[in-house]
Amino acid sequence: MASTAMTPQKRMASALVGTLLGVAVVAAVGFTLHSYSADPNGKLYATKSSDTIAVNGKTYPKASVTLNVYADNGQEADLGGKQLNGKTNKEDWVHYGPSTHVVLPAHTYITMTIKSYDGGEKLNNAYFARVVGTVDGTITVDGQQMKEVPEDAVQHTFTLHGLPTTSQDPLFVNVPLLKVEEGDKGFLPTKDSGTNFKGHTITFSFLTGSKGEYVWNCEYPCGDGSYAKFGNAMSAYGYMSGKVTVV
Amino acid sequence: MSEHQDQNIGLTPGDRFGRFVRRADMRETLAWAVFYTAVFVVLALFFYPKWMPAIHSTNMKAIERLMVIFTIISAPVCGFVLSIATYTFRHGTRGNTPPQDSAPMRTNRLGIAVFSAVAGVLCLIAVIYGITAMNSEALAAEGDAKNALVVEVTGSQWVWSFNYPSLGVQSSELNLPVGKPVKFIVKSVDVNHSFWPVQLGVKADANDVVAVELNTTPNKIGHLDVKCAELCGLYHAYMETNGAVMSQSDFDNWVTANGGHTA
Repeated sequence: MASTAMTPQKRMASALVGTLLGVAVVAAVGFTLHSYSADPNGKLYATKSSDTIAVNGKTYPKASVTLNVYADNGQEADLGGKQLNGKTNKEDWVHYGPSTHVVLPAHTYITMTIKSYDGGEKLNNAYFARVVGTVDGTITVDGQQMKEVPEDAVQHTFTLHGLPTTSQDPLFVNVPLLKVEEGDKGFLPTKDSGTNFKGHTITFSFLTGSKGEYVWNCEYPCGDGSYAKFGNAMSAYGYMSGKVTVV
Repeated sequence: MSEHQDQNIGLTPGDRFGRFVRRADMRETLAWAVFYTAVFVVLALFFYPKWMPAIHSTNMKAIERLMVIFTIISAPVCGFVLSIATYTFRHGTRGNTPPQDSAPMRTNRLGIAVFSAVAGVLCLIAVIYGITAMNSEALAAEGDAKNALVVEVTGSQWVWSFNYPSLGVQSSELNLPVGKPVKFIVKSVDVNHSFWPVQLGVKADANDVVAVELNTTPNKIGHLDVKCAELCGLYHAYMETNGAVMSQSDFDNWVTANGGHTA
């Protein structure tokens, strides 16, 4: 009977190939999941302007970006949104749009506009009712300047933060979004839904530093009842949290 | 009866143990054990402290001492296990055909007793020293708490916030004056978190039912890393923030710049 024993060289080679294949498969799965988690609905790039602005004696180029907050996909559709989160089983989830991954230029004066159309209640943590990290410590809500929003009148927050590493500049911005109430001047029911608001327009500015990766999330408990109201939309990529990449 | 067992008939446990440790395989294994133990002791004494985070409180100094002592205590056990692995690797059978089983080894009661006693004493030292060291530091810090600066720490998914009620300041960064006792009152407003200012050597769970008190005294100026040590959801990995232990004058300036008032 012929020997089927492998030579040591063949054993070593097959072990090496097997290990490399295993590593490749794990890496491919990891990169695919990471890619999906980073960009479940694409990237939103800030629009650069040719204007500059001086802040604290230093001149910065300007850029702007606009986000929206919708109560659900139906409201987004009524308002002409793209329904990028329009999966049938999640159509009633509150979400930011058109994307939750924002790309901003480095060392730039960013003007962010958030158009918000949702109601709200009281924050878990009153700290997030304050405006933090904007250029002058304020936001404008429908043209009115504010330093904070009543903690029981917040619909959502845009809270930007990152890992405190030495390789990137710190960046912390907290902006509370004033809730829309029936009877507000911003309330604008439409045809048959009755849930389509004119909403509020919140504008604020902040400075980016050097290149870096940051995350943002909503601090208002707007998920379902699980995990202290941080379930569903608050616990899934692409709804009430996302990334900010400074390039 | 095997040849191995025949050789041990009529010998006292001490004789058997002596023969056992004089065997060539045991001599090599023990030599490797001594080598590995020495390596880990050297690492623990001279290198481990360099790899630890900076020390900004007596609590953190106690943690470092504890880690060094625990590493030294566990070095012989780790060294013994690695020595067996090394001997096996060096003398393991090569080729496709496995060898026949060796003769069954007769129980060496003295060997087992020595190993059990040594391992047991090391474990006892670790348990008793660990409890007393941590407890004495906690009691000492609690004794200083009467004059402490109170900092209310709130964990929210996925940001820490700090309230200094006596100074009228709220912040997303943890800044503290050097040399002044601090009492952290830790809570969560949603899921469980764990407040961990690394360089201060203290850590406390944050929950939404009971506020947990934590005392320490920062004793060295420098940077603080504040982390969440409890897996808390989507962006748990990003639930970190900066902080600093600073001079009293720098701290007062920071308080004033953030709209607060100095005590």
